[in-house]
Amino acid sequence: MVAASLLPYSPMVIDHFDHPRNSGRLAPANDVVEAEAGSIAQGALFHLSARFERDALVDVRFETYGCPHCVAAASWLTQRLTGATADDLARWEWREAADMLEVPAEKRGHLLTLEDTVRELASAWRSRMQNRD
Amino acid sequence: MTPESQIYLDYAATTPIDPRVAEVMIDCLRVDGAHGNPSSSGHQFGRRARGLVEKARVQVAAAIGAKPQCIVWTSGATESDNLAILGVARFNADRGRHIVSSKIEHKAVVDPLKQLEREGFSVTWLKPDASGAISIEQVRDALRADTQLVSLMHVNNETGVIQDIGAIGKLCRERAVLFHSDAAQSIGKVAVDVESMSVDLLSVTAHKAYGPKGIGALYVRRTPPIGLRPILFGGGQEAGIRSGTLPTHQIVGMGAAFEIAVAEMPADVARLREQRDRLWSGIEKIGGAELNGGEQDRIANLLNVTFHGIEGESLQFALRKLAVSAGSACSSASEEASYVLRALGRSDQLAQSSLRFSLGRFTTESDIDIAIDELQRELPRLRQVARS
Repeated sequence: MVAASLLPYSPMVIDHFDHPRNSGRLAPANDVVEAEAGSIAQGALFHLSARFERDALVDVRFETYGCPHCVAAASWLTQRLTGATADDLARWEWREAADMLEVPAEKRGHLLTLEDTVRELASAWRSRMQNRD
Repeated sequence: MTPESQIYLDYAATTPIDPRVAEVMIDCLRVDGAHGNPSSSGHQFGRRARGLVEKARVQVAAAIGAKPQCIVWTSGATESDNLAILGVARFNADRGRHIVSSKIEHKAVVDPLKQLEREGFSVTWLKPDASGAISIEQVRDALRADTQLVSLMHVNNETGVIQDIGAIGKLCRERAVLFHSDAAQSIGKVAVDVESMSVDLLSVTAHKAYGPKGIGALYVRRTPPIGLRPILFGGGQEAGIRSGTLPTHQIVGMGAAFEIAVAEMPADVARLREQRDRLWSGIEKIGGAELNGGEQDRIANLLNVTFHGIEGESLQFALRKLAVSAGSACSSASEEASYVLRALGRSDQLAQSSLRFSLGRFTTESDIDIAIDELQRELPRLRQVARS
């Protein structure tokens, strides 16, 4: 056993971890899309749900099983994606979260999983729009 | 006890020095204290230090039911384990090169045994059952004609599970196999008696029993004598078994700590059991928590708990007000799960989502209240965030 040490988390990580924004899951609806990536076995699992109006996301929620960096990144991302278009989602890259939250190199694999979740959300949104058309 | 506003619940890692112990140590450290070399019998300074060392030897021996001449001072349990295992195995190598131990031993036992494997010895690593116990049948089945040593710990440092050392010791004696036990976690928590436990070698340390770090002892049975090759060479102190100038103040501290630990054990254990049970009740109320190690046969001050549905690092960080130990060997992305919990059948992920709470002499009721409050606030919050 080892002492539960305090990792060098950035103030933003600590803030989002202690006070997560937009945690939870939106109820299924015609204007709600969902995406999930990762697994508990891999150490990080992200679920995003979002409500869109016309061409923009108006409400984004997250659920995350993972380290404090994962929780903070997902929490931060929900704010970042509010107002985004499907194209914004398709273009979003993990590096932005890594830079903003000062995520160490060994944790960046988890952010790639978060990026996968965002891409999946963009696909789900586009499929939904196509089906509507 | 709340240094830096954290609640210290990591007594199994180490304990603070009891003020009564610190006092006798400080007395030694004064200019007019006991600075003489205990080996310098030609003057009063040396003789005074020797007198204190021998008094402490009696105290430590009494705590484990041993004769004082069987106590060898070391730098701690790690050195005691190394000396016992490497010393016995190498001395007796021509009589057999097989050793029996377990997968839940402390690294201070595991690593010398791995060194012996590199030297051509063969080690049988027994796997405990889900409750953390090694059965006497497992030991019996593992013994071979060339087995020269069995090394099994008394109290597991991660789970607090107590092994039936007496029964295993009896078996070893019947089979004329030497028996070593690491009892680093035992003193003051459970009775230790080298005679009734039939151990030939026993490792103890001061800093788990409110004594100083950097001092320990190895009990070595003297009748019949045990062949032991030293691992340190030099001035020939401790009958040539362990060279090195004796640290009088450390030894005096260990003696006092052991004397207090044994004298106060009944009261300490009763109080700690009550506090531990109250903490466990608080955890159980939250739900999704599972105890590691059997319900029975555990020391009174320790809880090792797996928290389902919460990632290990987030668990530790959310509970950062509590100074506890984690079930992972490292808090980085490359976490290595506790090999002890893995041996009990926990997955890597569950082992990493485990915490060890260990209470001690200075744990207050208020500490337990705060710990329960933290757990009851943070665990549901983390589970809600993770609800996938």
